Amino acid sequence: MAKSPDPALEAKNVSRRYKSSGRGVEDVSFSVAPGEVFGLVGPNGSGKSTLLRVLSTAIEPDGGVFFVAGADGLREKRKARARLGLMVDRPTHYGDLSGRANAYFFARAYGVEASKAEAVVSDLLDFFDLAEYADDRVKTYSYGMGKKLALVEALAHRPEVLLLDEPSLGLDYTSQLAFQRKIRDLSESGVAVVLASNQVDEVEALCDRVAFLYRGRVVAQDTPEALISSVEGVRRVVATLRNPVEYGPVEGVEGVGRVVPEGRNLVVHCDERPGIVADVVAGLVRSGGDIVSFSVERPNLEDVFVKLTGEALRRED
Amino acid sequence: MRISPPDAYWKKDVALFFGKRFALAIKMLYPVAIIGPVAASDIPPQYAAAVIGIVAVMAGTFGAGESLTSDLNDGILVRVSLTPISPYRIVFEVLAVNAVLDFLQLLPALLVVFLLHPVPLIWVLAACVALFGTLVAANCIGIFIANFTSSPADVLLYATAILFPLIYVSGFFRNQNPEGIMLTLRGFVPFAYANDALKTVFGLTTDTAPTEVLVYPVLICAVMAFAVCLTAPRLLRTRF
Repeated sequence: MAKSPDPALEAKNVSRRYKSSGRGVEDVSFSVAPGEVFGLVGPNGSGKSTLLRVLSTAIEPDGGVFFVAGADGLREKRKARARLGLMVDRPTHYGDLSGRANAYFFARAYGVEASKAEAVVSDLLDFFDLAEYADDRVKTYSYGMGKKLALVEALAHRPEVLLLDEPSLGLDYTSQLAFQRKIRDLSESGVAVVLASNQVDEVEALCDRVAFLYRGRVVAQDTPEALISSVEGVRRVVATLRNPVEYGPVEGVEGVGRVVPEGRNLVVHCDERPGIVADVVAGLVRSGGDIVSFSVERPNLEDVFVKLTGEALRRED
Repeated sequence: MRISPPDAYWKKDVALFFGKRFALAIKMLYPVAIIGPVAASDIPPQYAAAVIGIVAVMAGTFGAGESLTSDLNDGILVRVSLTPISPYRIVFEVLAVNAVLDFLQLLPALLVVFLLHPVPLIWVLAACVALFGTLVAANCIGIFIANFTSSPADVLLYATAILFPLIYVSGFFRNQNPEGIMLTLRGFVPFAYANDALKTVFGLTTDTAPTEVLVYPVLICAVMAFAVCLTAPRLLRTRF
């Protein structure tokens, strides 16, 4: 029998709690194989960023161990760092240096040879449509451009493991597609990717496996298909309304699990039973909602999360 | 050697230093604007020496402390610390490049001083070494302070609290003829050697020999630099 490859990233019983807020992660274990794209999904405050901070060696865990391409993340930090590509949730750069200078600096800091660094950086800047602005000072960049530059910095040294925190948040549509294409290419070339995100469409499209984090703990971990199939019998009704409404009557409909406003949309997670769609429509009308469009969709990872935790992934605080 | 695009932390600082022309002009001109008139005037030598010493101490301490806390607040320094570069090397480069750049800023003003007050070459060398030592020591203090705060305003406060006693002990204004414990303490403060060298440049005789000015501040600064580099893991940690 063929031996399965050593994991590119392995976390065992990682715990880290912030004394100030009590939030963090508790007893998290998972492994990511080379070439695998692993999604970390959870609402704000669920521990995704904390977990990535631990795995990136930025903070030490209270307990547990982790290994990056075989390097002990606690005892061999510099080895682990050299094998990691990292994009933090709020990327920062040297604003008075150009985008090219920032990317070159990080490429060299990660040990890319001088003779190769310029070419690698130029290729990546070009790939993410930053070539035109590469010699502008970064302080003139938009938020999205700054994120693209952070991706260039994360990728230039061809890491074995890539840790990405909300990578496509703030990117325009074309850049999101370019980002997804790059992730697939990297995955095919054997790079393990950990993607922390609330963008369920993106996670479903990119990830081979997904772990749900809720209040610092992994509550489920499997392939997106397996997770979604676990919520057979759930419907996802999306209504676009002309104006926001108080949706209490919809929540009162028998079989409705949760109602989540997402911009102008109202997403209704409900059980599959005869007549429920009509009841939801009636509830919306009773709420005073002027329905612009209406669809019944197959369940997605968000529905899985709602079923597991009773809470929505994207809370409108 | 190519500075831009930078491939090392110190080159990044050099590129930033020379990258902003207006700021560069101000940085290069303000020491001349302060020290030039002092050197040309006939104020007592000990006060002329004190002015240069104070400019060096303030430039060094606030320069490193404020730029470090600013980078720490941005998160960029922590991001750099997550690369495979040793944190000790990062802090050493911060210290070295800031001290050298501060010295570059002071150099035109020092040239004015040496032109107006010609002294034997050994004292020119001694004054330069001692002033560079002062800048290294001041930058060490700035980096040390950055370990405890991420607010540039706090840097000013803490720096004042640390620098005032050191300036007193150094004999810039008071304690000019120390005895006993004050004399011993003065021997451990690098600023004191710069003060003695500059007093000599301005025509005052001191008990300090040029070899002492060349050797002691270098040794003291080496110890200070080593100690402050040891704070690297704490300085570059992720702060909440």
